[in-house]
Amino acid sequence: MRVSSQSIVVIAEHVEGQVRSITYELAAFARILQKEMPSSDIKIVVIGDAIDKMAQIMARNTGMSVFAIHVPGLAGYNAEVYKNVLADVLTDWRPSHVCAAHSSQGMDFVPGLSFRLGAACITGVEAIVKHDEIICFRRAVCGGKIMADVHADSPMILLSVLPGSFAPDPKDASAPGSVQQRTMESAPKQSVSLGIIRKNMDASAVTEADVIVAAGRGIGDKDHLGLIYRLAALFPKSAVGGSRIVCDSGWMDYSQQIGVTGCTVAPSLYIACGISGAIQHVSGMRGSGFIVAINTDPKAAIINMSDVCIVEDLASFIPILIETHEKRYAEDTSQ
Amino acid sequence: MKLLVCVKQIPDPDAPVHVNAHGTWVDVDGSTFVMNRFDGFALEEALRIREEIPDTRIDVVSVGPERVEAVLRRSLGMGADHGIHILTGSDGYLSSFASATWIAAHARACNYDLILTGVMSGDDMNGQVGPLVAEMLHLPCATSVIFRRMMPESGRIFVEREMEGGLRDALEIRLPALLTLQSGINQPRYPSLSKMLRANRHPLDIILSDSLESPTIHLSVMQTSLPQKIRAGLILEGTPGEKARQLLDILQNRLMPA
Repeated sequence: MRVSSQSIVVIAEHVEGQVRSITYELAAFARILQKEMPSSDIKIVVIGDAIDKMAQIMARNTGMSVFAIHVPGLAGYNAEVYKNVLADVLTDWRPSHVCAAHSSQGMDFVPGLSFRLGAACITGVEAIVKHDEIICFRRAVCGGKIMADVHADSPMILLSVLPGSFAPDPKDASAPGSVQQRTMESAPKQSVSLGIIRKNMDASAVTEADVIVAAGRGIGDKDHLGLIYRLAALFPKSAVGGSRIVCDSGWMDYSQQIGVTGCTVAPSLYIACGISGAIQHVSGMRGSGFIVAINTDPKAAIINMSDVCIVEDLASFIPILIETHEKRYAEDTSQ
Repeated sequence: MKLLVCVKQIPDPDAPVHVNAHGTWVDVDGSTFVMNRFDGFALEEALRIREEIPDTRIDVVSVGPERVEAVLRRSLGMGADHGIHILTGSDGYLSSFASATWIAAHARACNYDLILTGVMSGDDMNGQVGPLVAEMLHLPCATSVIFRRMMPESGRIFVEREMEGGLRDALEIRLPALLTLQSGINQPRYPSLSKMLRANRHPLDIILSDSLESPTIHLSVMQTSLPQKIRAGLILEGTPGEKARQLLDILQNRLMPA
């Protein structure tokens, strides 16, 4: 089977037998891209040993055709096998665009695969934009302070799409897409996958909180953490979270980490203290109801995604905020 | 063992950034530069491997204009044995593909057992150089490594890759190999004063990028812009006390119990 040159291939992502939601975001992304290339078609590729059921589910949910590559013995993700199998089929198909997730899997195999295919590679894509009728892919650089619109001059482009950037389309009510199958033998020679390790982390404190006060590298000093906890204590059903760098420093437990590699949260109120707003953090909290940023840098990326911003040093401002609240509370109760 | 660590010098992430006059990349004039934070984890991990396995040599490579020498000196100050500077002419945007091509050109001749680098750079945020170098050298590669254990008797390395949602992907990889390291795998040490003094006298290998194969670049940045505001971003004005009162008013209306 050959795919026309103007065609889009979506690489499905799955973990432990479950299709990850990013796959549907990739399908939505592919549809938007398809509108720019009228005669193109879209195909979803899924790779693994037990993939029949996942292939059926994706064909039903998206209405797109699914190509299921059955690799005997491949329990989960393996970089070597993914690159070998995909290099084979994509060399044959020559699609114009290949979309994968900008996730721990996608980031692992996409750049190497692009080199093998002689294709261009754009990672962390958040939007499709056009300049003078030329399609560009928008990605964040410099911790999200700047967006770069990148154009690829190449017959084949591999894209990794940032999770949370494209909402999945509603379930396709029309007929399910076709499912085609092929078996390809491919065993890794340089690596052995040993399975998934589950780190027992109880992140329920932050994922179930109504209010989250979160600290980033801007807190500067570990001693200021006490202020973050005192601020959180003003609110019922609250919790304290942190960006990755705070957890890496050992100042907070990884169960409190919010962002791409931590928890995704959506509390009613999110107070970001000393958080720059790097996309890795923001994608874990942008669904919050109301976002307040306390930051010394008025140009920090977090300002663009906050409802209210206070440009102050948190070490001096939070005590004033707590004191002001306590005074009010005392006045209220004395009346 | 022979290790190579790839380090990048980037504009200080805490300093303000500006778009250049052409609107096509970041203006680095007047910037201060630092070592990419993620590469610090890679170098620290290399130093720990050398502490575990005797007769290990650590080379550090960096691609860029003359200013890049500073991160190589810093790496030597942290304890690396030797620095290689792939010197580029211009101070403009350097694509992942170009950097990877030149690093691979250097590494191809040196038979490294293990190549380490950060999971991504703080400026370009691509995460491509590591996996590209691996592919160019036909090495197995694992990205986002958060734990590793050497298995010298079998010539392998055990690694755990960080996945989403607190999961880890465990695998064993045959050496030679390339790993990109995720933050949190270690706490990088500071350069020591005595090592820094020695580092400043240590000669670096300088390779002109022009003397290496010139990569064909398929990508161009058409335009850079500031991120769009996706929420109101109301900046409160006044004294800190006034700001505190305004904020409490706003929050009270929304959810705080009176």
